[in-house]
Amino acid sequence: MKTDWIRTHTFHYSEFSDINRLVAAKEEKALKISLCLPTLNEERTIAKELVILKSELMTRYPLLDELVVIDSDSTDDTRQVARSFGADVYTASEILPHLGTYRGKGENLWKALYITSGDIIIYLDADIKNIHHRFAYGLLGPLLLYNGIKYCKAFYDRPIAIGKNRIRPTGGGRVTELVIRPLFSLFFPELTQIMQPLSGEYAGFREIFEKIPFPIGYGVETSMILDIFQNWSLDVIAQVDLEKRIHRNQDTKALGKMAFAIMKTFINRKRTLGLIDLKEEMFDEMIQYNLVNDKIQPDIVRIQGVERPPMIEIPEYREKFHEVQDTAATH
Amino acid sequence: MQEFLSKLPLFEEKILSFIETIIANIVLIGQIPAPTFQEKHRTRVLLERLAEFQVDECTTDGYRNPIGIIRGRSHSKPPIFVVAHMDTAYGRDVDHNFTVHGDNISGPGVLDNSVGVGVMASLPEIFRRLEVSFESDIVLAGVIQSIGRGNLRGIRHLIKTWSTPIRGAVCIEGGELGRLNYYSDGMIRCEICCKIAEADTGRHSRPNAILIVNEIINQMLALRLPQRPRSEIVIGTIAGGLKHGSEANEATLGFEIRSDADQMVHSLYTDIKDIVDGIGNIYQLEIQMNPISNLSASQLKYNHPLVKSATAVMHQLGLKPASVPSESELSIFLSRKIPTITLGVTHGKRYQDRNSIAEITPIAKGIAQIIGVILAIDSGVCDEN
Repeated sequence: MKTDWIRTHTFHYSEFSDINRLVAAKEEKALKISLCLPTLNEERTIAKELVILKSELMTRYPLLDELVVIDSDSTDDTRQVARSFGADVYTASEILPHLGTYRGKGENLWKALYITSGDIIIYLDADIKNIHHRFAYGLLGPLLLYNGIKYCKAFYDRPIAIGKNRIRPTGGGRVTELVIRPLFSLFFPELTQIMQPLSGEYAGFREIFEKIPFPIGYGVETSMILDIFQNWSLDVIAQVDLEKRIHRNQDTKALGKMAFAIMKTFINRKRTLGLIDLKEEMFDEMIQYNLVNDKIQPDIVRIQGVERPPMIEIPEYREKFHEVQDTAATH
Repeated sequence: MQEFLSKLPLFEEKILSFIETIIANIVLIGQIPAPTFQEKHRTRVLLERLAEFQVDECTTDGYRNPIGIIRGRSHSKPPIFVVAHMDTAYGRDVDHNFTVHGDNISGPGVLDNSVGVGVMASLPEIFRRLEVSFESDIVLAGVIQSIGRGNLRGIRHLIKTWSTPIRGAVCIEGGELGRLNYYSDGMIRCEICCKIAEADTGRHSRPNAILIVNEIINQMLALRLPQRPRSEIVIGTIAGGLKHGSEANEATLGFEIRSDADQMVHSLYTDIKDIVDGIGNIYQLEIQMNPISNLSASQLKYNHPLVKSATAVMHQLGLKPASVPSESELSIFLSRKIPTITLGVTHGKRYQDRNSIAEITPIAKGIAQIIGVILAIDSGVCDEN
């Protein structure tokens, strides 16, 4: 098992705070960079994210080439606010409409591949209360400055010793520590070196994203790591400490649903890879219970675990992004 | 003067075209909590921003006030100061995450004084984009320990230890756009603290600290204040007691005495001290009255060239100047005979609320106004006095 990855592929955002250096690397490699924010009713936080990212990484430094919002039919003013602050705004259901629509972050990330034009795509959640442009340039640093790295993941607390005998915990959330880390420890111990596999902020090259399937819901981060690990190895992955990230706190029941989706994705991946054999199909309903007027009542939510295929399998996508190269190669 | 006055509306328009850079600074700096005496993190962020915007020098003074210097063309002209206070009234436990929505930025302390500090941090970039340069060095100073118990310590130290003459200064406050402060009242800020120990039963039944403070307030309100010199007593804070069903053992009252005559401030201070001592004597209690801050009255005359120039700048931008006394950094500059005014950057609402709101669009006008006044000082309006 490769155990020195954590030492060689873990960075701190401050290593990349010389943004001119990143711009020079981007220009030298002739790369285009897109930043995508998947949204659902984020009118309270979206404007601040756009203002800071646009000001610092587009107006002051030409690091980002486009800011794209992919919205899941928000019922508040998310789309209008995002447009007024300079983003290119799309509704997920209107992108490749003949392929149908699902509601979920993974759906928006997948459709963003068709809409954006960058060679590198940064995905950030749109509810980051303490947004800072380090969230974007920190993720870009390893991709631009280290040739082998194709995918970069954020984490938010330094799992290092402070002082002589004091250790800070990794800062992983409850689902990470109770679900993902045990599963990784059991089946893919190398992946335990990724501090926060569920963090919603990551960036990577299109050539990677277009070749992997995207679960539409909570499982997207887990499947992404498993697929990249299986297809390219841990060496193409990096992780960056972005220090503090203020999260929206979720209750235990919501986290239970998240855990359900993640476990289902994980087990499906294991089965697809031929690593386990299920004797019967898994169920697709998460059953929780509520006490209502002194009576216990089930609260059943269907979580199907739908996955979008690798985008490169979609003809319209190939036509848009690969036809020119394919034609050139033929000639 | 007429030459740059005519450019100001164009400046406003240009500033609006890159307003997101200014909003970014307001948010990135303002989201760092900076209660008085704990401004270290905000100071670090301001210095980072100043360095990123490539000021010629970026440092802290001996009191840890963050300073950025933009070098001027002349080696002989004294510097012009632009000052904004760093500290806010909100503790670290308050959620400092701002919201940008529509034409507003909201959050704790956004008007007092994140907008002021954010605008000051943006000035190097704004000057560059507007292609404005100066004869004098421009000293951008965030001053710490300013409000409340801070007693303007940061600015006092900065001015006291600055080694050269200062040509003039502009103090920036987030709001309210249109303010033009050029005089400061004399002021003493005090706290009265009434503590009743278990044994203090006195002649009457066990006294209640809140009722004693109430009696002090009643007697303060009964003081006759003259119309000339203009004087006032502002009762600003009160705290006390533990729970509904228990007599209060402790109560604290915070207030300010202000007047345009220092003598009247001291006279009223003595009157209130007599009230406190008298009530303490009746109840056989030791009631503490502690001054925590004081300022002398100081002013520029209405016809001072700086005031006249600032008025012209504001009129050019369609602003109607509103003048009231201001007990702030302005007082310290004026007490040292440095021509200074305080200007507000934008309009807002709920100044003292955790969810105070600053309007975005007027910020461009507020900045154009500040640049106009700096250009006026640089042209020499303060040099003859």
